[in-house]
Amino acid sequence: MKILVLAETDVGRLRPASLAAIECGRQLAEPNGGSVRWLLLGAQLDTVAREAARYAPVCSVDAEKLATVTADTWAPVIARAVKQEGAELLLAGSGTFAKDVLTRAAALLGGTMASDVLGHKWVDGQLQLRRAMYAGAIVATVQLSGPVQIITCQSTAYAAAEPLAATEAIRPLAIDLADLPARVQVEAVESKRGGRPDVTEAAVVVSGGRAIKNSADFEALIGKLADTLGGAAGSSRVLVDAGIAPNELQVGQTGKIVAPEVYLALGISGAVQHMAGMKNSKTIVAVNNDPDAPIFEVANLGLVGDVYEVVPQLIERLSQRNSE
Amino acid sequence: MIRLATLLATGPEPTREILGNIPPLARWIFAVLGAAAIVCFCWGVWRRVRIWRLRPWKEERISWQTGVGRLVREIFLQHRLRGRGLASTAHLLLFSGFVVLLIGTILIAIEHLLADLLGRPPAYPVFHYGLYYIIYELVLDTFGLALIIGCCIFLWRRFRRPPSLDHKPADLVILLCLLFLGVTGYVVEGLRILQAETPQPECSFVGLAVARTLEAGGIHHVQAITLHRWSWWLHALPALALVAAFPYTRLMHAVAGSVNLLTEPGTLGRMEPISIEEVEETGLVGAGQVVDFSRERLLHFDACVACGRCEDACPAYEAGKPLSPKAVVQDIRRHLDAQGFDLLAHLARGEEGELKGALHGDVISAETLWSCTTCSACVEVCPLRVNPLGMITDMRRHLIGEGALRGTPAGALQKSQRSGNPWGLPQQDRFAWAAGLEVPTPESAPDFEYLYWVGCAASYDRRVQRVARSLIWLLKKAHVSFAVLGPEERCTGESARRMGDEFVFQELAGKNIETLSRHGVRKIVTHCPHCLNSLRQDYPQFGGQYEVVHHTQLLADLIAAGQLPEPTGDAAAQVTYHDPCYLARVGGVTEPPRQLVQIALGTENDLLEMPRNGKQTACCGAGGGRMWFDDPVEERMGRSRVDEALATGAETVAVSCPFCLIMMRDGVADKAPEKEVCDVAEILATALGYQERRTEKSSEENG
Amino acid sequence: MKILVPTKRVPDTDQRITLREDGRGINDDQLPFVINPFDAIALEEAIRLRETGCDAEILIVGIGSADYEEQLRSGLAMGADRAILVHCEESLDPWNVARILQVLVLREGPDLVLMGKQAVDDDASQVGPFLAALLDWPQATFASKVELSEDAVRVDRETDQGIETIEVTRPAVITTDLRLNEPRYASLPSILKARKKPIEQLQLEALEITLEPRIKIIGLEAPSQSRTCRRVDSVEQLVEALVEVLP
Repeated sequence: MKILVLAETDVGRLRPASLAAIECGRQLAEPNGGSVRWLLLGAQLDTVAREAARYAPVCSVDAEKLATVTADTWAPVIARAVKQEGAELLLAGSGTFAKDVLTRAAALLGGTMASDVLGHKWVDGQLQLRRAMYAGAIVATVQLSGPVQIITCQSTAYAAAEPLAATEAIRPLAIDLADLPARVQVEAVESKRGGRPDVTEAAVVVSGGRAIKNSADFEALIGKLADTLGGAAGSSRVLVDAGIAPNELQVGQTGKIVAPEVYLALGISGAVQHMAGMKNSKTIVAVNNDPDAPIFEVANLGLVGDVYEVVPQLIERLSQRNSE
Repeated sequence: MIRLATLLATGPEPTREILGNIPPLARWIFAVLGAAAIVCFCWGVWRRVRIWRLRPWKEERISWQTGVGRLVREIFLQHRLRGRGLASTAHLLLFSGFVVLLIGTILIAIEHLLADLLGRPPAYPVFHYGLYYIIYELVLDTFGLALIIGCCIFLWRRFRRPPSLDHKPADLVILLCLLFLGVTGYVVEGLRILQAETPQPECSFVGLAVARTLEAGGIHHVQAITLHRWSWWLHALPALALVAAFPYTRLMHAVAGSVNLLTEPGTLGRMEPISIEEVEETGLVGAGQVVDFSRERLLHFDACVACGRCEDACPAYEAGKPLSPKAVVQDIRRHLDAQGFDLLAHLARGEEGELKGALHGDVISAETLWSCTTCSACVEVCPLRVNPLGMITDMRRHLIGEGALRGTPAGALQKSQRSGNPWGLPQQDRFAWAAGLEVPTPESAPDFEYLYWVGCAASYDRRVQRVARSLIWLLKKAHVSFAVLGPEERCTGESARRMGDEFVFQELAGKNIETLSRHGVRKIVTHCPHCLNSLRQDYPQFGGQYEVVHHTQLLADLIAAGQLPEPTGDAAAQVTYHDPCYLARVGGVTEPPRQLVQIALGTENDLLEMPRNGKQTACCGAGGGRMWFDDPVEERMGRSRVDEALATGAETVAVSCPFCLIMMRDGVADKAPEKEVCDVAEILATALGYQERRTEKSSEENG
Repeated sequence: MKILVPTKRVPDTDQRITLREDGRGINDDQLPFVINPFDAIALEEAIRLRETGCDAEILIVGIGSADYEEQLRSGLAMGADRAILVHCEESLDPWNVARILQVLVLREGPDLVLMGKQAVDDDASQVGPFLAALLDWPQATFASKVELSEDAVRVDRETDQGIETIEVTRPAVITTDLRLNEPRYASLPSILKARKKPIEQLQLEALEITLEPRIKIIGLEAPSQSRTCRRVDSVEQLVEALVEVLP
């Protein structure tokens, strides 16, 4: 089975979701001696191609036209590459990139796609994939049937791949780019995240909810604790709606699905839509003023208290330990 | 008295000539002016009546017996005017003075006309003589003083400028005019005594005093003749002017207010249903324009005298929200008057018309309307039975009908409809609180006597669930035959209806009535006064007739009947009780909860009362759908009530409503976290030995 | 201009979803169904575009059984002008939904397709880009702001990197994200009026579509979600316990 993994990069580096996708690809390739290769698109790819080559052979399409990511230009290129290479499976890590670019490419390849896959198994030689529905209340096992299968996998469901012993080859693909449409102009990208890891990638997520009153407090409490723990900051929908936290931090059914080692829910009540985004975290720690908050029902560890009092103390004690 | 008796026995027949010093021409002019004033009065009244008649009555009329009762108690005895200190006294004086003097004047007029018709000479009046005359003069002179004192007190009060009183120049003019009439009345009387040398002037004692004073000032019989005529006109003309101007001024409240007192049903907590057919036919929901109000409300606009009692009683106003019931009524009244009658009649017939200003937005803002908690304090306190709450809910119905409510509260309505509770929590989880408690349901106990209506709060809110568990324990202990609907129960729809969403309410009520009928429910006990009011007043409108009691009533009865033991332990805590609006004011239930708390306290401690208690209770701020507006704690309307409760020094605030429980708990937790807020049932249960069983989850809570 | 808003009928998100005994579907006989919240946002956006002067005809589409009429009526009550119901009893995977919508788009010729980014039942997020690819129209996904200009549309997109502002030419497919707007509640008179508006009923055969199933559901599970919470009493204890689980 020939597997291509679409790489997603962020400021010239591979995103961890892509590494998880490679791992998934390796697992899918293993039973039938298939091959896993990167499909890397963009401009000035030398550095990132070399990084990617540490994990798998790279098929690259390096062109100025592809410097900006738009589904309109990338999808046809991806589709052509897949057909040219004769790949049977196209993989990527879940995220807005995959949902936008890869999905369009999937349609050009026949529309056989399973998104946000949590796991897989082989039954009678058939690949069965598991994915969540109804905000995680139901997990469906599905089978795809079509010429090319497209899968996005949850980066939390597959561990990031380990680099190989030796670097693999980088092969540029000859793809015709002459007729790419020019219908989409990217005018600006405004990122509000700062220097912290992405909430879907960190091993520790410190998440704030209704109890946080304003952006300054969010930074001082949630942000600072996240930094102390070397983790990511996250937020429930309430704060994003109120403009207190930026949208890319939102964890929940309609935001990001995360499953870190440790998820700290601070001042979050635990509404089911939020739970949908974090309930697969290994350890959930909850701090809330209300002893009856539903979050305590899904947490492993809980403290009833005011976030404004508890968090500064946590920061202080953990910083102390850090310096010891 | 002895002198009087002597007078009657020995002297000439006491009487006095009516219009004695007034020349015939003057009398004719007066008669003509008088007739003109009366015509003016009638036309003025008719102008207002026309407006009332633009729309039909909506509510059921009261029985004539109730009407008579109201006439005596509320009009003559001014019963609804009590409770405002000096203002109540002043009005009683002014009103009685005015009425008596008015009747007196009418009697004189009748006497004069009859005497003319029967051709009696002045010395031989028809009935205005003898004992009747003496009593007449005494009464009138006394009540004349009442009028003057009343006016003076009111003037002094206006001078102090209480904030809730509107200060319009016209009102001051009226007041001064009345005072002027009162004073000139005595001056005329005094001068008449001097010029006519009325025999036995002692019965007109004030007039006599005036006469003596004038004499002392050098005015004698001869000067009195001219002065009397002048002063008579000085009194007559303003009097006629007042009669003519009557319906154009605040005095109209006497007419409109009286009509209102005699017709307005005034049942607290009641709303009239709307039918889908009506809406389909008219395309109208609630009051979108001023002519959409029913006759009851149109009458209210004239009855309101802007006294400000409602504003003083309004919890929203006190909390700084943009709602004053008085302003609502007065603003709409002004808006109504700004339109021409013809335009209004046009619109009332359903024709198009250009109103000056829109009712919604220009006259009353949506924020004003949404600030109301429907506590009914304004309705309770109005001496003229004006219903600002009814106007507010009429307008809310319109806003909801327009889809103009957005955000969390609108979401709560939608969730009530879809999930059967305003939080949108799963219907299937409604009975989860009862896990492990062996709570009887209609299936497991089909011969139940009481249906315990749990309500949304106790079904889903973990704090309030404890109230349900305590009550269940008590009911079982008292061997009461009861059952709980469990997952079949849906929100009563009370909040939805008060927010103005009649159709979500009707949908919920319809389903609940079907469920209750299916199980043959007759008696319902509930711990929620809102559910109580809805089941008792709203549901019968759709075919659901039940005997509904509050849990405190049932518990008090059980203790009285010996089915529940009296607690032996004494609760050492200091407890104060907060009356819920919908229980104390709307439901009229104030004693049973107090009895229960007092019983639990034993004889060691007394229940501490807050200044505003019983029917004068202050709203916690959650009613009328305000609960779903999700105000942050520092902005909630019940904050002053929380302060009041804490000021009693009580350790525990007792409540008997889940909304009050949630509001007071949040408010107390914010200000004095060491104090407790508990339902009366919990207090009683604890005093009888109930211990809340907790699972291993909460290590820090003890049993 | 014409805006086409595809909608999906989904269970109300507040409800608890449970599996049927036979494990072949969810228990849906007591569930309230609604228009997919993201599609409601799309419809609301279409209405707002019309209100701010672009004079659009708004057409909503549903693909499903006759039950779907209720949702289409609430869409009409909100402000859509017309509704089409494509009858189909079986549940469809995103590829086939996109193909049906493609046929409708070619039939109706809208200038813009506005739809939700994902349906809250399958959470697949596929139909939007599938449809755009089939039509060969540009796409703007996860829109949190939409502005029409002469012959283009400027969209703010919520991505993992932050907010990306793009301009795409029309016709285009836009998928909506949560923060684009808050859908309105229909006024009662318009709900009553909507009861009388016709809903065009179409059959799949009439559209000359043969379905090409891509996804087969083998099985469904309802994973158990319980954990036992260990409560601590102080920050010190919390830190102790936390340090043990930190990576």
